[in-house]
Amino acid sequence: MAGRQLRVLRMNPGRLIYPLVQPLVLLVLFVSVLGNLAIARQAGGGSYREFLIPGIIIQNAALTAPATGLALLRDAGSGLADRFRSLPMSRAAVLVGRLASDAAILAVQAVLLLGAAELLGFRVRTGLAGLAGVVAVAVTFGLAIATVSAWLALLIEDAETAERVLFFPAIAIAFVSSAFAPVGELAAWMQPIARANPVTAAAGLVRSLASGTPASGQLLQLGCWVTALLLVPGILAVRRWQAPS
Amino acid sequence: MIKAFGQVSALNGVDLTVGSGDLAALLGPNGAGKTTLVRIIATLTRPDAGRVRVLGYDVAAQPAQVRARIGLTGQYAGLDEELHGRDNLVLIGRLGGLQRRQARQRAAELAGTFGLADAMDRPVRTYSGGMRRRLDLAASLMNHPTLLVLDEPTTGLDPVSRQQLWAALAGLRAHGTTMLLTTQYLEEADRFADVVHVLDRGRIAASGTPAQLKARVGSRVAEIRLTDPADAAGAARALARRLSLPAGEIRTEIGAGRLTLTAHDGPVTLLAAAAALQADGIGVDDLSLRQPSLDEAFLALTGVAA
Repeated sequence: MAGRQLRVLRMNPGRLIYPLVQPLVLLVLFVSVLGNLAIARQAGGGSYREFLIPGIIIQNAALTAPATGLALLRDAGSGLADRFRSLPMSRAAVLVGRLASDAAILAVQAVLLLGAAELLGFRVRTGLAGLAGVVAVAVTFGLAIATVSAWLALLIEDAETAERVLFFPAIAIAFVSSAFAPVGELAAWMQPIARANPVTAAAGLVRSLASGTPASGQLLQLGCWVTALLLVPGILAVRRWQAPS
Repeated sequence: MIKAFGQVSALNGVDLTVGSGDLAALLGPNGAGKTTLVRIIATLTRPDAGRVRVLGYDVAAQPAQVRARIGLTGQYAGLDEELHGRDNLVLIGRLGGLQRRQARQRAAELAGTFGLADAMDRPVRTYSGGMRRRLDLAASLMNHPTLLVLDEPTTGLDPVSRQQLWAALAGLRAHGTTMLLTTQYLEEADRFADVVHVLDRGRIAASGTPAQLKARVGSRVAEIRLTDPADAAGAARALARRLSLPAGEIRTEIGAGRLTLTAHDGPVTLLAAAAALQADGIGVDDLSLRQPSLDEAFLALTGVAA
């Protein structure tokens, strides 16, 4: 199933432009506008640029994910879905296949972003292991969001509504977190929400991985979130993958 | 078996069996419940009450076993438009349990059978409607199904594509594949079916071989198109008088100047009608004998207009 999605991309390389170029453009924009702000009040010092870039990497994963929901919804209503349902294959296969191909895309995006970030002055100090860790965090986080978007899309059923419901909250979620500013600097009412937000844990973990500081607390928090988000919406989404009866 | 959508019972007490190697046709107009029945059989939906067994397996309790043995060609082609023809077939073959090499071989074999060998390397979205249906049919056959279910396979096709699909179906019949076919077209049921079930608003209204049903439906219909539509009333009277028919037997479409009547004696009736109209000097543009339409057949079999 994953092969199917990837083969379609290979046949239509134009479709790769958006997922690959957009994150880079956003990165450059954010860093150019905000990168030189002299806000150095997070643990370990360093420039805002170093603080910001991990946030952008995670934000990108959060933005890419909603597309999964829409694609799954489109599949669900098609004649192809009926054929899949009439074959002796697991109901989860379509979702899992799509997540697998999403993982590949998220990984490529993360690598590209890290490469571009190097050029912009962001260094991962923990070598290859750290880089792999960052990519892993971005991918698993992205998959968790994608699973939620898959479940919501199947719940909403209408493609246009789903588009609106899925995309805007993704942007909002990225802001109410430590992606762009340390939690302590956020407005007082936002702080509790931001602290609970998995984006915060993910961004924090990336920062720790990049700078070599200990990260077990964040790893645990993110681990819990990802597991919960992959399992609960995942199972619900598979259940919803029914023919319209 | 019963299947209800909210207040409306789509299927109410359907009871049918298909013999091995036979083709059973399910005939009915839109809304009769044909697609609902097909979806239940293909394990896509569940019946609300009653039991449905396909090839010995209960669709609700043992769907996987049913799915492993059936092939479905639904109304909307079960194909990925973006992929090549061959990729589609191989995908479905592999999802059905074949190894990659087996799937490719089977795909090539079916492509040959259905005349699609040249189109295998093109994306399905470039295919014509008829080609899509044939590929859909090929896809249903990838995993050697014991029962093939076809939901209105030729609806919406142009005449040439329809003929091509019929040729494919004839080939499958010759091969001995067991099939359940739903259709709106009397001619299609007549041509292929060993037994026909007429579905009317969720119930089986009549069952029998095509010959049996046709005998019940009655004779063919004579259709007359007048040169001058204004002659319609006069023509009807002339026919009634000269052919000794009760007035109700002659149906008139006044605006179009068209009359139809049941041709109890086939061509003889037609000739008599022609003679009658000529004797009265009523001009005729066209005169023909045709099979009863589905509406007319329905009326005869169910006592209700379709």
